[in-house]
Amino acid sequence: MSAPHLLASGSGDEFEAPGLEIFHWGPLFPDGPSWLHWLTKPTLIVGLCAILVVLFAWRAFAGAKLVPRGVQNVGEVAYLFVRDQVARPMLGKDGDRWMPFLFSTFFFILFMNWMGVVPVLYLPVNSHIAFPIVFAICVYLMMLFLGIKNQGLVGYFKNMMFPPGLPKALYVILAPIELLSNLILRPFTHSVRLFANMFAGHLLLAFFASVAYWFLVEKLTVLGAGVGVVGFLMTIVMTGFELFIQALQAFIFTLLAASYIQSGLHADH
Amino acid sequence: MVRPAMSEEGHRPDPQESEDSEQDRIDSEHRGFANAAWSIPSYILSGMAVYGGLGWLLDRWLGTSALLPIGILVGLALALYLVFHRYGRTS
Amino acid sequence: MLAEALPVVAEVKGNLGSVAYGLAAIGPGIGVGIIFGQGVQAIARQPELTNVIRQNMLLGFALTEALALIGFVVPFVHK
Repeated sequence: MSAPHLLASGSGDEFEAPGLEIFHWGPLFPDGPSWLHWLTKPTLIVGLCAILVVLFAWRAFAGAKLVPRGVQNVGEVAYLFVRDQVARPMLGKDGDRWMPFLFSTFFFILFMNWMGVVPVLYLPVNSHIAFPIVFAICVYLMMLFLGIKNQGLVGYFKNMMFPPGLPKALYVILAPIELLSNLILRPFTHSVRLFANMFAGHLLLAFFASVAYWFLVEKLTVLGAGVGVVGFLMTIVMTGFELFIQALQAFIFTLLAASYIQSGLHADH
Repeated sequence: MVRPAMSEEGHRPDPQESEDSEQDRIDSEHRGFANAAWSIPSYILSGMAVYGGLGWLLDRWLGTSALLPIGILVGLALALYLVFHRYGRTS
Repeated sequence: MLAEALPVVAEVKGNLGSVAYGLAAIGPGIGVGIIFGQGVQAIARQPELTNVIRQNMLLGFALTEALALIGFVVPFVHK
């Protein structure tokens, strides 16, 4: 599969909106040796993003000078943003200790999301639920480990399941809700928020782009040209909007990760 | 009331310290609000899942069909009660 | 009858549950927007009441969010 398969999706005479097939990427080299079949477009982009984050942090913070120059300026602004908007408000005094994790999480996810609007690549990797779920499971395991380490095995589950100040009989009814909400639905909603936003955004962009291509290039008619122009303009507007949403979702994911880490470090009151 | 002078001179808080604790208080309130706002959907979903699931199992056992919606509504009400109890108190 | 009068209506294809959820999410979306918008405005006007306003924001948000989530589960109930 290659990039134009999206644009050629409506092979008949009628326009067909792009569907789920735009997320299915086979091996990049289907004719290559079978040990190379793991290399698909998403895995390639993930590797690229990892390298990008490493390069960015390297350029920004290796050999940092007192008077910042070049990339170090950007890196310091980014560091201050994550520290003052995520780490310190959510984690308080522990915030600075968790900065390496939060910084790299934020930028890894941000780059992975922004790949959705980078020409040629055009795939937000997090629109495959496997990737957000792995991030969410990492945070979840860390939360469980910290909680059991800091509050004790019994204490952690007691703090989680039994909020103080309720009549005794209600605990029997409400404890299952708390347990399910904190242990199962937390990582689920954590990852689905990111996944659903990227998925819908990519579908939206692909839809408007294919409308523009279909009505302006493939089947250019007098009546259809208006629709095509609208699709073209919407593609541009939506690309800007997606840039914003992608940054916002990376921010929210990091914010929630910090919040879950905090709930492991200290019992909430 | 007994010794008013004592409370005025006894512990004058260090301005630096009081500023820090003020910032901590604001931070912890903000944290509570953010945690609450993000966890409300998962509370409601889990309430509906637990009691809706119970209703579904009872439906299959008893051969009825009304218990699933009833269970979902009951779970919704209980989850809302839990949310109100947890986050609705005046701190 | 309706299908004859409006041929487009008869051609709604795909999963109706997702269409229903899309419709059900409109109201809560507007509601959540109003709640947080007015809440922020209220805090800006009277910062000393921040705690009370935040609590009421949360309660209103919980009630509104419940509607959206009902829309999410109804397709599972009425198959």
